Amino acid sequence: MFKKLALLFFVLTLTLPTLVSCGQEKGTIKIGLEAPLTGDYAYEGQGFEKAVRLLVDQTNEAGGLLGRQVELIVEDDAGDPTQAALVAQRLVDAGVVAVIGAYNSTATEPASEIYNEAGLLHITPSSTATRLTQKGFKRFFRVCFLDDRQGLFAAKFAKDVLGVQNFGILHDNSTYAQGLAEHTKRYAEEMGINVAFYDAINPEDTDFTPILTNIGAADLDAVYFTGYHAQGGLLLKQTGELGLDITWMMGNACNNPELIQIAGLENAVGTYVTTEPLPKDLEYPEAQQFVADFEAAYGEPPSSVWWQMAGEAFNVIRYAIEQTKSTDSKVLAEFLHNEAKDLNGITGPILGWDEKGDRLGTIHVAYVIDENGEFVLHPEQPE
Amino acid sequence: MQFIQQMINGITIGAFYALVALGYTMVYGVLKLINFAHGDLFMWGAYLGLTSLNVVLGLVVQGSAWCILPAVVVVMTTVALAGVLVERVAYRPLRTAGRLAPVISALGVAFILQSLARNIYGASYKTYPNGITPAGGFSIAGSARVSVMQIIVLVVSFLLMGALYLFIQRTRIGTAMRAVSLNHDVSRLMGIDVNRIIAVVFLIGPGLGGVAGMIVGLYYGSFDFTLGWTYGLKAFIAAILGGIGNIPGAMLGGMLLGIIETLGSGYISPQWKDVIAYVILIVILIFRPTGLLGERVAEKV
Repeated sequence: MFKKLALLFFVLTLTLPTLVSCGQEKGTIKIGLEAPLTGDYAYEGQGFEKAVRLLVDQTNEAGGLLGRQVELIVEDDAGDPTQAALVAQRLVDAGVVAVIGAYNSTATEPASEIYNEAGLLHITPSSTATRLTQKGFKRFFRVCFLDDRQGLFAAKFAKDVLGVQNFGILHDNSTYAQGLAEHTKRYAEEMGINVAFYDAINPEDTDFTPILTNIGAADLDAVYFTGYHAQGGLLLKQTGELGLDITWMMGNACNNPELIQIAGLENAVGTYVTTEPLPKDLEYPEAQQFVADFEAAYGEPPSSVWWQMAGEAFNVIRYAIEQTKSTDSKVLAEFLHNEAKDLNGITGPILGWDEKGDRLGTIHVAYVIDENGEFVLHPEQPE
Repeated sequence: MQFIQQMINGITIGAFYALVALGYTMVYGVLKLINFAHGDLFMWGAYLGLTSLNVVLGLVVQGSAWCILPAVVVVMTTVALAGVLVERVAYRPLRTAGRLAPVISALGVAFILQSLARNIYGASYKTYPNGITPAGGFSIAGSARVSVMQIIVLVVSFLLMGALYLFIQRTRIGTAMRAVSLNHDVSRLMGIDVNRIIAVVFLIGPGLGGVAGMIVGLYYGSFDFTLGWTYGLKAFIAAILGGIGNIPGAMLGGMLLGIIETLGSGYISPQWKDVIAYVILIVILIFRPTGLLGERVAEKV
């Protein structure tokens, strides 16, 4: 009896994969989304899913792609590099034609290796670490802009607008934050700014008073925090509670209303944030249409530019599939490298991509938090 | 000046570690079980505190710090009952099953509690309403600054720890607890209802942990469902450092860990503070394997 069962099981395991893959050729077009639905970045990851699902539904209502329905397969990487590698393999096994993800560079890096080996088109909405596109992956793209650009912008803003001479930079040792911190440091020093303080926090902590006590004693004109909003908010709150007078600049991962909620308004006022424009400040008709559709579907407008970027990544994949009439990653990637130019994206004009897969141009601006708890465009922007 | 400020910072962090460490140490004392679910019961304290505070704020006059008190009572009761339930469902059936099974069961409960919090409250950071805690502070010794909240945190922590210590040393139930921690069978022969005593331990430990969670929420203002994991781990280590099973040891270990970490990140770098803290921990454990005050565990065979 046992032998028969074992034989049956053996036969089933052999035939099942073939049965499944037969179905794949004609049915739906599977698009993968790898995002942190849980963990520290869950707020962003869940927004990714909302944004992409909205566009997938719109596509399917309009008849799908190449006459086929689009099926979105979502995997949760929790922002964790180990889990990212696991779910990346799951998406590859599920037979997706292209992948959107991940949110943070730390998770995108190991996943991109797996997608690359599987030969999949992979677009990250938000991972801005420079080294992701330094590996020669032919099918890896971003719809966001490099940290390198943001670092240059932050240094310029500090020097030209704030008149900083003694600058502090604080990161959290994540791939993204450390990269942004290093670029900012390099550009700041090139411009003759003295980087008098350079250190990192541990993002698992909730109490940053020890390092803040140090920063307060260091007599800096401004401090640039390049980590994420949960820690950024706590830094602002505890700066206020310690009674310290620190001019804070924060990077684009702090471009999030939760920053103010966590910090408390009185502690957040006057904080500068370098970032891509917020969804509401994207004055392009396509961008506004997306914001309106999103609000109609979910009852609130997208609150993070990264959600919009995730939608953009899907739109780029859709556009490439429509134009090439193909779902072959090689064809799609070559199309994006060579032919996709001057598109009207929902995050502003897409000039195209360079040979490494980096989106051309930049849209960084500086915001300041006002007394009403709003991120408003700083009246003065560097050249 | 900076040193005094750093000591104030460290003692505040240490007080939180100590409060959570009490729960680990009490359970270990009576069951020789590392209750990994304790950190997550603590985290639930922060969530329930927020919920009940919102309810209270809806009912009672706003703007008074006293509205925190009814919320504290609700949190303490709910988390304490949850603790008893966890013991009844997940630990008691496994009490004779060797040492590994209950630990795994505890880890399971920890994950269940964490996922429940995430699914019910959502994954994003939750924030306590602003301006509910007394603001302000004053300067001591020049530029060092103590906030009113820090003083409240310290006073409340020491009161809770002191009350617990007296309870265990001076009351009949406390005496019974100490007896159970030495030997279950002999305690039973002496007429002690061991199951009831263990239930009381699971009432007090998580109750205190729940209050600690709410205080952490109020003090830092924001938290998410991973709160229990970070604090739980640190508090667990604090309990071992002070001598697990020993109540004053948990307080000492928590304070020490908080201060060492703070001095490490203040004078070297936050990136190195864990390295420094754990090198010191290992050295202490090499010379005192039962922890700083932990003599009672040593003779147990």
